[in-house]
This record gives sequence, structure tokens and C-alpha cells, in this order.
Amino acid sequence: MIPKKSEQSESVMDFPKTKMTEKPVKRFKSRKKKSGYENATGYLFISPFLIGLFCLTLYPIVYSFYLSFTQYDLLGSPTWIGLDNYTRMFTNDDMFWTSMKTTFFYAGVAVPFRLIFALLVALALNKITEMVGLYRTMLYLPSVVGGSIAISIMWRQLFGNDGAFNSFLALLGLPTHSWLGDPDTAIWTLIVLYGWQFGSSMLIFLAGLRNIPKTYYEASAVDGARPIQQFFKITLPLLTPVILFNMVMQVINGFMAFTPSFIVTNGGPMNSTVLFVLYMYRRAFEFFEMGYGSAMAWVMLVIIAALTALIFKSSGKWVHYEGEQK
Amino acid sequence: MRRKNLFFVLMIIFTLVLSACSGNKASNEAGNENDKPKEEKGDEQVTLRMSWWGSQSRHDQTQAIIDLYEQENPNVKIEPEFTGFDGYFEKMAAQAAGNNLPDIMQQNFGEYLNQYADKELLTDLTEFVEKGTIDVEGVSDTIMESGTKDGKLLGIPTGTNALAAIYDKEMLEKAGVPLPNENWTWEDYEAAANKVHKELGTYGTRLLEPKNIFEYYLREQGFKMFSKDGKDLGYKDDKLLEDYYAMNKEMVDSGTAPGYDVIQQIKGVEDELIVHGKSPFDFRWSNQVGALSSAAGKQLELTMLPGENNDKGMFLKPAMLWSIPKSSKHKEEAAKFINFFLNNIKVYEIGGSDRGVPLKQEIREAMAPNLSETDKKVFDYISLVTENSSPIDSNFPASSAEVLQALADIDELVMYGEMTPEEGAKEFRKKTTEILSR
Repeated sequence: MIPKKSEQSESVMDFPKTKMTEKPVKRFKSRKKKSGYENATGYLFISPFLIGLFCLTLYPIVYSFYLSFTQYDLLGSPTWIGLDNYTRMFTNDDMFWTSMKTTFFYAGVAVPFRLIFALLVALALNKITEMVGLYRTMLYLPSVVGGSIAISIMWRQLFGNDGAFNSFLALLGLPTHSWLGDPDTAIWTLIVLYGWQFGSSMLIFLAGLRNIPKTYYEASAVDGARPIQQFFKITLPLLTPVILFNMVMQVINGFMAFTPSFIVTNGGPMNSTVLFVLYMYRRAFEFFEMGYGSAMAWVMLVIIAALTALIFKSSGKWVHYEGEQK
Repeated sequence: MRRKNLFFVLMIIFTLVLSACSGNKASNEAGNENDKPKEEKGDEQVTLRMSWWGSQSRHDQTQAIIDLYEQENPNVKIEPEFTGFDGYFEKMAAQAAGNNLPDIMQQNFGEYLNQYADKELLTDLTEFVEKGTIDVEGVSDTIMESGTKDGKLLGIPTGTNALAAIYDKEMLEKAGVPLPNENWTWEDYEAAANKVHKELGTYGTRLLEPKNIFEYYLREQGFKMFSKDGKDLGYKDDKLLEDYYAMNKEMVDSGTAPGYDVIQQIKGVEDELIVHGKSPFDFRWSNQVGALSSAAGKQLELTMLPGENNDKGMFLKPAMLWSIPKSSKHKEEAAKFINFFLNNIKVYEIGGSDRGVPLKQEIREAMAPNLSETDKKVFDYISLVTENSSPIDSNFPASSAEVLQALADIDELVMYGEMTPEEGAKEFRKKTTEILSR
């Protein structure tokens, strides 16, 4: 193996040298050609991905942007209606605003809930020294299966009128409640479901915690810092880049949530859990207004982009990178 | 050499991308022309795609019917595509957009048929009826009309269906309530429900499903859901809807009927209150009596919906229709299968009344001696309704799905007490005007 490698590297090294002494301009050209050829081979190798990217991602994105200016019910062909979809959305669609409010509330509560929960669990796991693998796996499991239909169906059973949660309450002699049937509590069952799937954020936090040098804690302990102080003065500041990453991912995630509101409550009761994406789905696939649905998708894109930009913008104020000079 | 290779590689990528991206519209249409002569030969090996929605029992039955047909016609192979009702029309719409609809399509009466008719996606079957490929001899005109739109026969009904008041005889007897018959009124219904609730402590009825029942409620009082041109509601006085909401609200408040917190938990026939002996009444389509009875493990009875003028309110509806999309390359063969479905008694022996009661008198008669108890009741019920009903309204606008959804949404608000029945009725008119004026 080793001699072969050196041979290879030698030949590569030699090739430009010899050329350079003769005709510098030509060398430049031929090298360009060669790299073009190598690029093409490279492109051929990644063509499965490229085809996917162009046909399944870019083309639909561009097409949906076009559709957002049309009226299109799938059966016929799209008719151009200009900005009508957008004006109708903002001026003449109560449900649009209701679903928007619900989504902001949902994401606004569920995302911090999941992040705090994930951080607390990560802190606890960081302290455990035995059987870490087992705990980590068990705690991560809900996230692996979490986005699935099965979990949503389980959630529905769990919080149903005759569900396990009510039986448990009854066992303790506490009053039972129609959790999914009451418009005030239904959204909370979805928020708890979101919080419960904290696994991936937790793993990232855990990795972040492991990266903080132990010496900082030892040094601060010598100086008499208590654990609480250590947490706020050392752990949290050093964790901020990880928090930023998790926050951006989860905000995007939270605004795009669909499965729970579709399966667990189907938007009910009284449309109190119709998240934005569910409403978009209903417009597009239940009332066959593809144009309107596409327009909604673009509004959502702008909102998520704006929020992400906002988070990044503010990050200068609270995110500390190691080795940063201030 | 290298340049050549580069060119070659780029070409490959380019064609791959192009062929993957391009729609199949053009190639399909070209294929359409080429395949036409084949159609005539008959003995050629033909593969038909057939799609339907339904429950597991319907999937099994339909598969058995397909097997039977393939046995009798070895040159035909049928590829089934089936789902539940949820998602079915989404799937069909996507296939329509790709010009890839199946050869035989289960179609729904009302706004769906109208939509497909407007877009001219379905074949006019008159040709096949005139040629005798599809034999509809003896099927009543009103039934055939339900598959007709603008003079074109776009669907052949699979069987007839009607709304029915399904009831649990044992529960009513135990509560000392007289059994309902076709002459009962809304007052009788309320009294019976209240008495059952009081005597047995169960619910007295299931909360009525507004999308179907309110239409009946209007018809019974001489009004229609939509105006003739489909651009407005078919009634002027909001008191009608207010009364309907108020009647249900009263029963929810007294505990006779369950609220939406309970209704929401019902995810299929197996969860229905009547199945679990929690309610003696359930108003729904007659072809579901079988499914309900078998889930309940006891024989449920059925009669006409209440109201003095229920003959005006009741109507026969094609349970579903068989259509042949225009894009089909094997229309003739598809038509033959529909004919088989319509005229072969074995089909109904396998399928029972799951796709409605057979259209043809002779099939109904031939089946009579061997009917299951449920099917017998359903058959008798359909003949009763045939005598006591008026024609179905087919002027549902394309956006009626949304209008009916608004009706159901407001029903929920009223039952939760967020709106009074009066406000609800006004809100519904406001919403409808908004939707229909779009």
C-alpha cells in the first residue's frame, strides 16, 4: 500500500513541474481541461443526488412559487390570478389568522419547553457515570419514533376520554378531564408531545457539555464558586453556540409541525389546534386550492426565514464563541 | 479523447435530468393514439387499473369480485388501487394532474362528480349503453340520471343508498319507548331520546352529523341546500338552521346527546356509540348498517328519518358510481367490467349491500332467498324509500365541500356554547356567501 501511495503522489507532483518549464500558458489550459473533465466525472457520480435536487426540490419550489399566483385545482390547468391569493389571505380569511396565532402560540411555548427540557436532561446525563449508553438510548428513543404516525395515534389514545392518563388520574382520586375535547387543553397535549421528543436536542447539548473543559470547573471550585454560579457563569455561556444551533433547528421544526395536529386532534375541537401547515394542507388537498396552498407555503417560508434571521442577528449579543476577543 | 468523454458525460446527465423531469403527459397522449386499434381486437392481453375507496371488508370483497372476473376473462388483468375515503380524492386529483387516472374509477355523487364533469375528465358512457356493452335495462331513470351531468352519462351507479334512522331495538324496549316507524316526527325522536337517557342513563342519541342531516332537514320542510344555479343557499330564512342547531344544542345541554368532546374520539365504525350500547339512535347511510351491526354483534333496525313530510326529505342516492376517465386506453374493456359488476348476481352475493342495493329488480329478486338478515332489512328499506322519496338534488357547487365544512365547524361552535344557534345560523350564511362568491 505505502509504496503505491508515494508513487501516486510523485506522479502528481511531477506532472505540473515538467509542463511549467516548457510552455506556461499551455500548462494552464490543459490543467483547466483536466479539472473540467474531473469535475464532469464528479458530477456524474453525484447525478443521482443532482437529479433529486433538480426534479424533486428545485423544480417544485419554483413551480409552487408560480402556482401561488394562480388558481389551480389539480384537475384543470392553473389560471393566473396575480396577487389574489395573497390579498385574500391577508384581508379575507379568518382561519388564516387563527391558524397563524395558534402556530405562534404552539411554537412559542413548545420550542422553549423542549429546549429547556433537553438541557436539563442533558445536564443530568452528564453527571451520570454508569450505564450512560442505556439512559441515552432510552431518552433518545421518543425522538426516533416521535415524528411518526404511530406515536400520534398513541398520544390520542393516551389522552382520550377513556385513555390511560384519565385512568391514572382516576386512580389517584383526581378529577378526570376531556383533554382532547376541551379547546383550552387540546393544544397543550400537542405541546407536551413536542416537548417529549427532546432527544436530538438533548444529544447535541450533551455533546456540547462534554466539550467544556473540566479545568474551568476545577479552577472555579478552587475560587469558591458554587454549582449554581458555575452553571450560569461557565456552562451556559460556553453552551450558547449549541443553544443557538438547537434554537434555530427547533424554531424551524416547530413552525412546520403537521403530524400531531393532523392525527391527534385533526385541528379540533372548534379548530383550536389547526396549525398553519394543517390549514395549508386542508386548503390544498381537501378543498383542492393548490394555488392558495402554495401561496400559504411561501408566506410560511418568509416567516421562518425572518425569524431565523432575527435569531442570528440577536446572536451577536448572547452567543459566546471560545477564543473570541472582545 | 477527453473532450469527447466530457461531452458524453454531460449528455448523459442532461438526458437523465430531462427525462426524469419531463411530465408524462405527451408520452401518454401519444400512447393513446397508438393503442386504439388494439382495443378492438378483444383477445389482446389487457391490464386495467381500478381504484376505489372503502373499508377493509370492501377491499376483500372487491378483490374477490376481481378474481372472479379475471377467471371468466383470462385476457384481462385488473390491478387494484384502494385506500380509505380519506385521501382517496387527493390521490385521484394527483393522478388527474399527471394524466394518469385509472381505467375504472369509483366516483362519488355530488360535488366530486360535478368537478370531474366540469373538467371533462370522464368518458360519456352513453355510447357503451347504446351499443349494449353496458346493459342498464330496467334500471329506473331517476337512478340513471344521478350519473348524468349536462346530458352526458358519466357514471354508472353501483347501487342505491338512502339516509336511515338506525336504532337499537333492545335499548328502546328496555327504556319503554315505542319503536319508531316511518311516520314518526322530530318530536317523537326528541321524546324517545330523552326518555332513553332518563331511563337507562346512557345517551339518548348520537349527535347528528350536520353535513347530511341538515340537508334532509331542509328538504323535509320544502327547501334545498343550494339554490338552482348553485350560487347561493337554497333557503332564505335563517330560522331553519337556528331551529336545527337549537334542537341539537338542547339535547347536548341536557346530556341526552354527547358533545363534540365525545364525538371527536370516534375514529371509525367500531367506536360508534350505538355499537357499544351507549346510544339507541344513529342517523347515517343505509349501506353502513351492515358494518355497524357486525361491529355491534347484534341486529340493528332501520327506518326512515323523522318528520311529517319525510317523503319530501328522503331521497335515493347512488352509493357510488363507476366512471371511466377519458385518459383510459382500454375504455371498451373497462365498460365490460362495469357491465359485469352491474349484471352479475355473483358480484352482489360477494359484496352484499356494501356498495348499495343492486339497481336491477331481477337481481334483487334472485338474491332475496339467500339474503342475510341485515341485507334483507336494507333491501326492504330501500324499496320503502323508493316509494316515499323525491329526486336527489344534484346542483351542488364545486366548493360545496367547503360550505358543508363551515356548517360542521359552526355546529361545533354552537354545541360548545361559543355561539348561540341564532348567531350560528347567521354566521353560516355569511361564510357561505363568502365561499360561493369567490
